[in-house]
Amino acid sequence: MVNHKISRRTLLTGTAAASALSLTGLPAHAEVNWKKYAGTKLEVILAKGPRGDNLQKYVKEFTELTGIQVESEQIPEQQQRQKVVIELTSGRPSFDVVHLSYHVQKRQFEKAGWLADMTHFMKDPALTAPDLVESDFSAAGLQYAKNDKGQMLSLPWSVDYFILYYNKELFEKKGVAVPKTLDEMAAAAEKLTDPKEGTYGFVGRGLRNANMAMWSNFFLDYGGEFLDTKGNILTDGPEAIAATKLYQTLLTKSAPPGVAGFNWMESMASFTQGRSAMWIDGVGWAPPLEDPAASRVVGKVGYTVVPAGPKGQYSSTYGDGIGIAAASKNKEAAYLLCQWVVSKTQGARLLQAGGGVPFRNSILGDPEVQKGVKTKEWLQSVIDSGKISKLGLPVVIPVAEFRDIVGAAITATLSGADPAAELKKANDQYRPILERSEKA
Amino acid sequence: MSALTQSTPGAAQSDAAPEKELRPPSYWPFVVPALVVVLAIIIFPWVFTIWMSLNEWKVGSSTTFVGFSNYLRLTGDPRFIEAIGHTLAYTALSVLLPLVLGTFAAVVFHQKFPGRGFLRGIFIMPMMATPVAIALVWTMMFHPQLGVLNYLLSLVGIPAQLWVFHPATVIPSLVLVETWQWTPLVMLIVLGGLAAIPTEPYESAQIDGASIWQVFRFITLPLIMPFLFIAGMIRMIDAVKSFDIIFAITQGGPGSASETINIYLYSVAFSYYDLGYGSAIAVVFFLLIVLLAAVMLYARQRMLWTEIASGT
Amino acid sequence: MTPRQIIGKIGLWFSVFVIVSPAILFFLWMASLSLKFEIDNAAYPPVFIPEHIAWKNYADVLASNRFLTYFINSLIVTGSATLLALLVGVPAGYGIARMAAHKSAIVILIARITPGLSYLIPLFLMFQWLGLLGTLVPQIIIHLVVTVPIVIWIMIGYFETTPMELEEAALIDGATRWQVFRHVALPIAKPGIAVAFILAVIFSWNNFVFGIVLAGRETRTLPVAVYNMISFDQLSWGPLAAAALIVTLPVLLLTVFAQRQIVAGLTAGAVKGG
Repeated sequence: MVNHKISRRTLLTGTAAASALSLTGLPAHAEVNWKKYAGTKLEVILAKGPRGDNLQKYVKEFTELTGIQVESEQIPEQQQRQKVVIELTSGRPSFDVVHLSYHVQKRQFEKAGWLADMTHFMKDPALTAPDLVESDFSAAGLQYAKNDKGQMLSLPWSVDYFILYYNKELFEKKGVAVPKTLDEMAAAAEKLTDPKEGTYGFVGRGLRNANMAMWSNFFLDYGGEFLDTKGNILTDGPEAIAATKLYQTLLTKSAPPGVAGFNWMESMASFTQGRSAMWIDGVGWAPPLEDPAASRVVGKVGYTVVPAGPKGQYSSTYGDGIGIAAASKNKEAAYLLCQWVVSKTQGARLLQAGGGVPFRNSILGDPEVQKGVKTKEWLQSVIDSGKISKLGLPVVIPVAEFRDIVGAAITATLSGADPAAELKKANDQYRPILERSEKA
Repeated sequence: MSALTQSTPGAAQSDAAPEKELRPPSYWPFVVPALVVVLAIIIFPWVFTIWMSLNEWKVGSSTTFVGFSNYLRLTGDPRFIEAIGHTLAYTALSVLLPLVLGTFAAVVFHQKFPGRGFLRGIFIMPMMATPVAIALVWTMMFHPQLGVLNYLLSLVGIPAQLWVFHPATVIPSLVLVETWQWTPLVMLIVLGGLAAIPTEPYESAQIDGASIWQVFRFITLPLIMPFLFIAGMIRMIDAVKSFDIIFAITQGGPGSASETINIYLYSVAFSYYDLGYGSAIAVVFFLLIVLLAAVMLYARQRMLWTEIASGT
Repeated sequence: MTPRQIIGKIGLWFSVFVIVSPAILFFLWMASLSLKFEIDNAAYPPVFIPEHIAWKNYADVLASNRFLTYFINSLIVTGSATLLALLVGVPAGYGIARMAAHKSAIVILIARITPGLSYLIPLFLMFQWLGLLGTLVPQIIIHLVVTVPIVIWIMIGYFETTPMELEEAALIDGATRWQVFRHVALPIAKPGIAVAFILAVIFSWNNFVFGIVLAGRETRTLPVAVYNMISFDQLSWGPLAAAALIVTLPVLLLTVFAQRQIVAGLTAGAVKGG
C-alpha cells in the first residue's frame, strides 16, 4: 500500500491540479454540462483487477462532479465475460456500463450489436471535454474500439503489453547478460536453471488458453500472422512450429516443474519467490512484485521488452475498453462515466499505480505524469513496448475456442508431443469452428 | 432411488401392494404440491434444452432450426470423444476407490470404541464441507514446488510429483480429492447395511474358528452387497457429473487432460456461448448417465441370477 | 485380555487413525494456511505453525468483501429453499411412502441425474422474463432442485419405517387423512424431519454452480463470493484459505454437532433406498 500513498501525494501536488481542470473543463470551455444528468443511477460491471480497483477507488469524485450515482462490482475475468454475455443476450442487461476485453470480445460484441455507438457523443461539446479527441488514442486502441464502419463503440481504457521481467540478482550470480534475442533468452534460461537450488531460468503461462497470450509473442517474433487475407487461420505453419519449439524448450528445460498448469498467478508466485529468473507476461504486475508483503524480489526486478525473434521484435498486445450497453436507458450519463474513466486524472493514477497503461498518448507522454511513476525502468519498458506493439490474438469471434484448442495443443507439447503434429491437429479442429462462425 | 429398491430383494416392503388396492389414490393430495414444484423446475428446463438442441443458437446471432445436426456434429468432435474417455476413467476410479475404502471404514466404525461418534463426525466432514472451498485448498496443496503434499512425500523419500500439473497424473490426483471427499458417504451407506445384519452367522463362524478375512469375505460381504450396489450407483451418478472440484482445481487442464463431459459442456455453453450445441451435449450426457445406470442394474441382476443358479 | 484381543485393539485403533487422519490433517492445514502471511505460505519446507499469526487474513476477508451481505444472502437462500422444500417435501414423502408410489420417485431420480448446468440457461431466461433477476428469488427457486429431492428422499425412507397401526386406528375412528398426517404421522417423524433439514441445509449452502450465473452484486452467496476472491493482482493463499474456512465453518460445525442425526439419516435413507 506504499504505492497508494505515493501516487496520492504526487497527484495532490502535481498532475492532479492540472488534469482535474482539464476534466472539469477550464472556465473557457465551460460547455460541458457535467451536472445535467445529476440524480441518474448507473450500474457498472467490471472485470476484477487493477483497472476495476482504480475505478472503484475514485468513483466518488465522479459522483461529486456529476451528481450521478454509480454502483459497480468486480467479478473475476472469466466469469465476468460469461455473465456479461448471458445478460446482454437476454436483451435486458442489469448494467449500463461494461468493461470489456477487446482481445476476446471485440468481434463478438460488434456482431451482436450490444454496444451503443459513441461517435456522436464524442462530437458533442456539451458532453465531451475538449481534450478527449480520437487522435489522442493510440492506433491499437482505435483499432480495438472502432468497428468496420468507423463507429466508436467503446473508449479504449488500458493497454496490456507483454514485457520481460527478470531477476537481477540471479542474473548477476550466474554472470548472465540480459538477452536481446529469443535465442539468447533460451541459452540464458538454461544457464540460470539450477534444479538443485530450486531456481529456474524461465517461467510463464503453460496453462491451456492462458498460454496463448505468451506463445503469441514468440509467434509474432518468428514472423507469424494469425489469418491470411481470406480469413483462414494460419497457426500450423513454420512460424507457429518454430514458436512452439521455443516454447517447448523453454518450459521443459528451464522452467519449474508443473509449469503446464501455471497461469500468471502461479508464474508470478514462482517469480516473486526468487525461484525463476525470467518471466514474460503483461505489464500490470509491477505493484505485487514491488510489494514487500508479497514479494521476495523487491528492488531486484528488471523490466525490459520481450527479446527479438528472427523476423522481428514485437510486444504482443491486448486491451480493455469501457462501453455502454445498447439497451441502457442512461446512455448520456453512462458516456460521462466512460469519459471520466479514460480521463487524464484516472489514466495517470492507473499508470502511476502500475496497474495498467492508458491508450491516450497525452497521458503516457506527459512528463508530469511520468514523474509520478515509481519504477522508471518499468515505465521505460512500457514506452518501448508501445513502439513494437502488435495484437496478440486473431480478431475473430470464436476467440475462446481458439485459445482453448490451440492452447491445449501447445500445452500438450510440454509433455513430449510433437509441435508440428499437435498444431496441425488443432488447426484441423479449429478451422470448421471458425468457418461456421464467420458464415453465421 | 426408491425405484431401485424395488429390484433389490429384502428392501422392498411386501405389504405395500395389497395396501394400494385397498385404498386408491387418496394420498395424491400430499404429493401434488411437490410434484408441481419439481415438474416446474425440472420439466421446463428439459423441454427447453431439447428444443435448443435442435437449433443452431450461438449467443448474439439468431436461432435457426437445424434438426439433428448438433448431434451429428458430436460424433465428429474429437474433444467430446476424448471427454467421454476422461469421464469414464474418472468415474470408474471415483466409484471403486471410495467403495473399497468406505467399506473398510464402515467395518471399523461398526466396532464399538470410545470417541466413536466424534471421530465419525470428523470423518464425514469432507463430504459436508463446501466443495469450492475444499478445492481451493487442495490446489494449494498440489502445488509442485510449494505444496505440502510433495513435502510429505519427500519425508518418506518419494520424489516430487506434478499432481494436477501433468496429463498423466491429473485424473488420479483429482480422484484422490473425490475419494477423500466421498468415501464417507459410502461408509454411511454400508454402515446402515452392517447394522441390519443379524448376529447369528457371526456367532457360528466364531465357533468354527474363521479368520477375520474369511468372516468378511463369506458373511459380511454378501450381506452388504445390496448396500454396496446402492452406494456404487449414487457414487457413479455423482462422479460422472462432478463439476466443482474439477472446475476449481484444473478447469479441465493441463491441456485438456482432465476435461470431462461436464466441463466441456460448461465451456461450450458459457465460454463459447454455443447454446444449441451445448444443449445437445447436455442431452447426450444425460442419456449416457442413464445408460451407465442401466448397465449397473443389469450387471446386478446378472449377479443375482448366477448367485441363485449356483445356490449361494 | 488375550493377546489376540490386544492385537485386535491395536489394529482397530491403527485403522481408526488411518481412516480419520486425512480429514484431520486437511482441515488443520487449511487452518494453518489461513493464519499465515504470504511469505510463510510460500516457504519451503512448509511452515505449519508460523511465528507471526496473520489474524489480518480474517479481518481482511470480513472487512473487504462485504462478507456480511453475502452471509445473509446465503442464510436467506438456504433457509428459504430448505423451508419450502420441507413444506412440500414432507407431505410428498408421506404420500409416496403410503401409496408405495415409487414411480413418482423416478422424477426425483431424473432431477438427480440431470446435469446442474442444463438448468441454468432456461431458468435464467425465465427469471429474466419474469423480471426477478436482481432478487434472491431465482436462487431460492433453483436451490429447490437440490433441497426438494433430498427431503422427499429422506422422508420416504423415514415414513416407511414408522408403524402403521396408529394411523389405521385413527382412520377407523373417522379421522381424515390430513388429520392423521398432521396429528399422528408428523409428530413421530420429527427426527426424520430434523435429518432432512440438516442435509438440505448443508447441500444448499455448498452449492456453487447456480450462483455463478444467477447471482449479481447484491445477491451473491458465500461460495461464489469466495471463488471471486481469487484475486487478480496477488497470489493470496492466506486470505483465500481464511475465506474458504469461514464459508465452510458453519457446515462443519453443524456436521460435528449433528453427526448422530446425519449418520442416522443417511444410513436409514440407505436402508430405504439411498
